[in-house]
Parts: sequence; C-alpha cells; structure tokens
Amino acid sequence: MSNASLEATVDPAEVQGWINNLGTEPSAAVPLLQAVQRAFGYLPRKAMDLIVANTEINASQLFGVATFYAQFRLDPVGRNLIKVCHGTACHVQGADRLNTSLRHILGMKDEEEDTASNGSYTVEDVACIGCCSLAPVMLIGEQAFPNLKGADAQRHLVKHAKTVGEILPGQQDKDDEKGGKS
Amino acid sequence: MSGGLIINVGEGTCGIAAGAPEVTELLKKRFPDATFTSVGCIGMCHQEVMVEITNQDGKSYLWGNVSKKNLPKIVRFHRGEADLPEQLLIKSTDNPDTEKSQYLIKQTRIALRNVGELNPTSMAQFQERGGYLAIEKILKGEKPMTPEDVIAEVKIANIRGRGGAGFPAAIKWGFARGAPGDVKYLVCNGDEGDPGAFMDRSLLEGDPHSVLEGMLIAAYAIGASKGYAYIRAEYPLAVEYFGKALEDARSAGYLGKNILGSDFSFDIKIKEGAGAFVCGEETALLSSIEGERGMPRIRPPFPAIKGVFGHPTIINNVETLSNIPWIINNGGSAYAEIGTDQSNGTKVFALAGTIKRGGLVEVPMGMTIRHVLEDIGGGSPTGRPLKAVQLGGPSGGCIPESMFDTLIDYDEIDATGAIMGSGGMVVMDSKSCMVDLARYFLEFTQLESCGKCTFCRIGTTRMKELLTKICEGEGTMEDIETLEELAPNIKQASLCGLGQTAPNPVQTTLKYFRDEYIAHVKDHRCPGGVCKGLITHTIIQKDCTGCSICERYCPVDAIEGTLKKPDTWVIDQQICINCGMCVEVCNPDAILAA
Repeated sequence: MSNASLEATVDPAEVQGWINNLGTEPSAAVPLLQAVQRAFGYLPRKAMDLIVANTEINASQLFGVATFYAQFRLDPVGRNLIKVCHGTACHVQGADRLNTSLRHILGMKDEEEDTASNGSYTVEDVACIGCCSLAPVMLIGEQAFPNLKGADAQRHLVKHAKTVGEILPGQQDKDDEKGGKS
Repeated sequence: MSGGLIINVGEGTCGIAAGAPEVTELLKKRFPDATFTSVGCIGMCHQEVMVEITNQDGKSYLWGNVSKKNLPKIVRFHRGEADLPEQLLIKSTDNPDTEKSQYLIKQTRIALRNVGELNPTSMAQFQERGGYLAIEKILKGEKPMTPEDVIAEVKIANIRGRGGAGFPAAIKWGFARGAPGDVKYLVCNGDEGDPGAFMDRSLLEGDPHSVLEGMLIAAYAIGASKGYAYIRAEYPLAVEYFGKALEDARSAGYLGKNILGSDFSFDIKIKEGAGAFVCGEETALLSSIEGERGMPRIRPPFPAIKGVFGHPTIINNVETLSNIPWIINNGGSAYAEIGTDQSNGTKVFALAGTIKRGGLVEVPMGMTIRHVLEDIGGGSPTGRPLKAVQLGGPSGGCIPESMFDTLIDYDEIDATGAIMGSGGMVVMDSKSCMVDLARYFLEFTQLESCGKCTFCRIGTTRMKELLTKICEGEGTMEDIETLEELAPNIKQASLCGLGQTAPNPVQTTLKYFRDEYIAHVKDHRCPGGVCKGLITHTIIQKDCTGCSICERYCPVDAIEGTLKKPDTWVIDQQICINCGMCVEVCNPDAILAA
C-alpha cells in the first residue's frame, strides 16, 4: 500500500518563517518539529533537511528528537486523524474494542497498517488525553466522543465520513458482500 | 424575562467532550439576554455537561447531565413555565444538601479552590476571588516578606511535592536559594503523563492564574529570574489558557521586569511537551527543555545545583504550586493543621474506572481510601463488588478491597507497595483482570523507557513478554518466579524513577492477587473474563432474538444464522477473535463470554 498521494509539498519559505520565529539554537528543536507537524500532520523529510541546513541543530539531534517523542511521526497521515485514548481508565473499560471496530470498518487488516488504503483516515493510539471519567474516549480531528462502545465508535465514524465525504473501505466490502449474497 | 439570568457552563476538556458547546449554543438561543460565562471543570466529570443558572432573584441552580434532549425542561423551569426537574438538579440555593452534592460537600478544596468557580481566561474574576493577593502581600504588604520568610512559611506548611515523589517543597527551595549562580530557573512540571490522571490538566485549564501565582512565589523564594511551564501537548486547552494568563499577568505588571515596582523580575515561557512519559522525571524534563531526547541524567549534581542549561533549577508540580498562594495567604500552620503528622494538607485525586461518581476529588490527607471511593465516589456503578484500586499509574500499584481502610498518607500508602503518585485513582470491579492490568502497565513502561539503562530497557521488555505469555494462557509457574526475580533487579539498576518504579504494578498484583496469576497458569482461566486467549464467546440461543445485530458488528464475520430464528445463531470458534463487540451490541444479553 502506498500513500504517495498523501505526501506534503514543503515550501522552504514557510519553514524559514518558523525558524525565524522559534530560533536556531539547539533548544528550538522540539518547537520547530512541532510547527512542522502542526502544518503537515507529520514530519516530511524535506522540512527536516531544511531545518538542519538553516539552524545550529544537526541531523542526528533532530532525527533523535523526532524518533524519541510519541507526538512526532515520519509517515504521512490520512486526510482525517482519529486518536483512540489508551489511558488506564479507557483500557479497563474496553478501549481495545474501539480499535477493533474502527479498523474493521476502515478495512485495515494488516496490524502494521494505521492508515486506510484510500488515505481517508489514520487511527492512532494515544497515551491519555485526560478525560478519564468519560472513558473510553476517542477524538476524530479535534472533536472528542465520550463513553464509547465499539459499535458507537463505528457509528460516529460513519456519520463523520458522510459529513466530510469520505468512503470507508471496510463498509464498502461489507455492502458488496451483502449485495453478492442476495 | 431572561434579562437578568447569569449562566455558567463548564467548558473544560471533559465538558466540551460531553457536549458543552452544543448546550451553550442552545441556551444562547433560548436566553439571548443572559450573561454567559465559560468556567473550568468543577471536577464532577460524571455529571457533565453542567450548567449553573442564577435567576434574577439571586437564587442559583446547578444542573447536571444536561443534554440537548433534557434542556427544554430546564429552560421551561427558568421561564417559570414548569416545575423544577428534580432529576437534573445537583444543588440549588434552597437545597444545597442533596445526594448528588455530597460529592462536593465532602471535599476540602484548597488546590482546586477556584476551579469551576471562575472563567479561567478572566484575570478580573481571579482577582475578585483573592487572586494575586499572596504575591502582593510578599512584595508590598505591611511587612514585606524576604525569600527566607517565604521558605520558612512553606516549611511550616510542610507541603510535600505533589508530583509523586513527595519531597518537601521548602527543603528543595532552600537548596536552590543557597546554590551559587546569577541566573536561576523555576520550572512548572505540567507533563502529566500518567495514564489515568488529569489533576494538572484541570488546574491549568480551570485556574491557570493560581499556578502562575505559585510560580511567582516559588521564583521569588529561590531567586529565579526565568521560568518555564512545561505542559503536555496533549492538553491544547491548558496551553491556550495558561498562555492567556501569562499575557494578562504581564500587562498587569505581575510578570516581567520589576514586578509590582519591586526589584524582583521574573518571566515565564511555555514549553510544550511532545509526548514522553519519562519527561515527568526532573532531569529528563531538563534535557527536553534543552531540545534533546528526554533522557534522565545522573544525580548528583541535582537540578537545584545544576539544572536547565547548567543553572540552578527548581522543578515543581502544578498541584504543589497552586497550593502555595493559599499557604501564604492563610499561613503555613493553617495548612499544616490539615492531614496527618507526616503528610500535611490535601491531595487531589483523579477518580476514574468503575465508579459511580468519577472526577476530581480533593480530600484532606488521613482520610481512608474507602471514604473516597464509597462516600464521595458512590461505590460501584455496576452492582458488582469493587475489587481493587490502582494508585499512581504505571509507577504505582494495586490496593485490594481488603485494604481500602488504608489512610491517604505518603508513608501508609508506601507500606502497601503502591505509591501516592500524582493522584491517578483507577477503580476496578470483579470483571477486571489484574494480570491484564499488570501487562498493560508494563507494555506502557516498556514503550516509554528511554533506553538508557539496560535493566529498564531489557527488563521491562522481558516482564511484558512474560505477562503477555501468562495472559495468553501459555505461562508457567516458573514465569511467575522469573517476574519476581526481575522486579528488584530492575528497581536497583535503573537511574531514574521510571525504571525504579516500573515493576510496582507487577509486584503488587502478585502480592495481592496471586490466585489470579495461578488461575491463568494452572487452570487456563481468566477469572475476570478479560484475557482473550482464555475466554470463548457463545450465543445463548434461548435468550437470542435472532436480530442479527451481532453479525453486523462482528469484525471477522464469525457469526452466522437466519434472521428471526434464534436457534440457528452460532459463533464459529475457529474464526472468533474474542473482541467482545457482539457482547456490547447484544440487547437481550444473549452472548456469554467465559
């Protein structure tokens, strides 16, 4: 599966703008990467090269930082990002089932896969978003959905997909199959 | 008619998640002339969305579990068109002592004194509630206080660091005060990485100015001129509100050069964390501020002597800092009067899991765990008995029901093998598996181990593998012994708190729930019905209605049958992955997981 279509186009002027704002010293490494990730949803290689070329931060420090912190990712994300909380409260109340049901409807069968084949959604596990009394919780984009069961997660995703005009690969499979049966 | 109404809506992260913006929007339509305030989370997460409406006659009503659906009842009541909808009321001016309000009444709120009571983005409201009086008292009161006076007052209060380690704050401050150096730093540790904890989030979101004032006082006491607020990036609202507080305080002269006309200068920058549990550890946090991988350093030198960029640095937790202004205003002895001999004051807990009334709870030290769980939390919501409570997240341990009478006190809790920790309190009933929980935490610490110390890096990996093996029903009694052997070695040979505490969840569950481990190993049975490798799902055909909903949600198509013919429905055990989706969706409870 290739998500080449999701690769971001990096504008060097934009990266330079962040460098001008956040500084060129080594301590700017984390804020700079955060600015890049905020803009692209991940850390495109080209943006990282530009940072190394135009600051005092060297490649080993930058790559070291990028791979150390959970927030950063090196692969492109889908057009929409789903975060499933796996804090303690969410775990003991069945957060795993949210992943199972979301991955099912997104047609993600390979365990390593975190983005649907059509680039519509990426499912990410996060440590704890701090809404423990509303467990289990997931976020689609910025919106949080509280007190979920596996089926609820699926329902919210179907609704969301409809509003933003995305196709859910897993849902399509199931519909095709049903069509074939009758 | 609605002109004089004052409406406060709880819009912390959890309020927003529960649907507060929707409710606010509707209320604004119904009462266009009312005065709206968005307040922080009062901590009754189980009652979100919460709305407080004050009538023209000055009587106020706090409503809970408000939704788009039941809002009309409240609207009609405030318009005088209907009776009071009792089931939605938490408390009112006429009726403050309800069953629901016990949750708030039984707490002692010092750190949380303003949370949920004010608009966190309004400095004026903060000042109306006594905000910034403590720093004014210190800098230009009748008898201005020297840094030594401040440290002495905090020493009388005997407040111990609320981040988990429990080191007395005044002693730590004294070290930095005495350390040589022109430039000193104060860091507020808001990198609340414990899964299951959200005290710091609520404080930063709900009362950012109190944390800021605490930072001012601490900086003055140690002689710091620069400060960092290290806040988790996962808390966007906290970052936003704290940033707003910084701006407002700066323009009012509470932050920056020559604060309130004195020769004390101090300014604060926000550093957003990037998602690394280990950064809650002091020296790792310093590395992270400096732009490096968050790896701990060898101590000594302690940060108080050599911290950020080599300068003396004090790192205090959010909750510790928000107590400080109260201590200055009310005196150290007033604070020390609360609690036990060795643990003074109050502690905030984030109560979650299988509990009727979850949320933020601030109680005096010395209260029993049972009191918090049963009297404030309302006990089990499921009807099944509570089995254990997990304190201190991945660094902490499980305390069984038989020990719920343990006092909330640093030393008493340490004696059980758990730790006070930063305040995460996750409650479990009989349908949870303690082996699975230990596996969950070790998976977490293994992932979060920075990799510097071999015993932490490899040791947690081996522990996780052994626990996974046991959860899958493949474990042996020898594996349990290996776990017991690994635990003390990892603790002894790790540099920082992460490795030194990582085995706690395993050790406490082995100590108190050994029978569950044995059931997994010898009987290939998971008593909690959680471990997927040890349970099977079957359809109880006499209860089945043949509605086919389970078939629709089964992610692996393991369920088959004919519509409306209950006796035809079966789960193919060869295909079933025991995910439990079918159990969740089955209306007549016709699927058995055992």
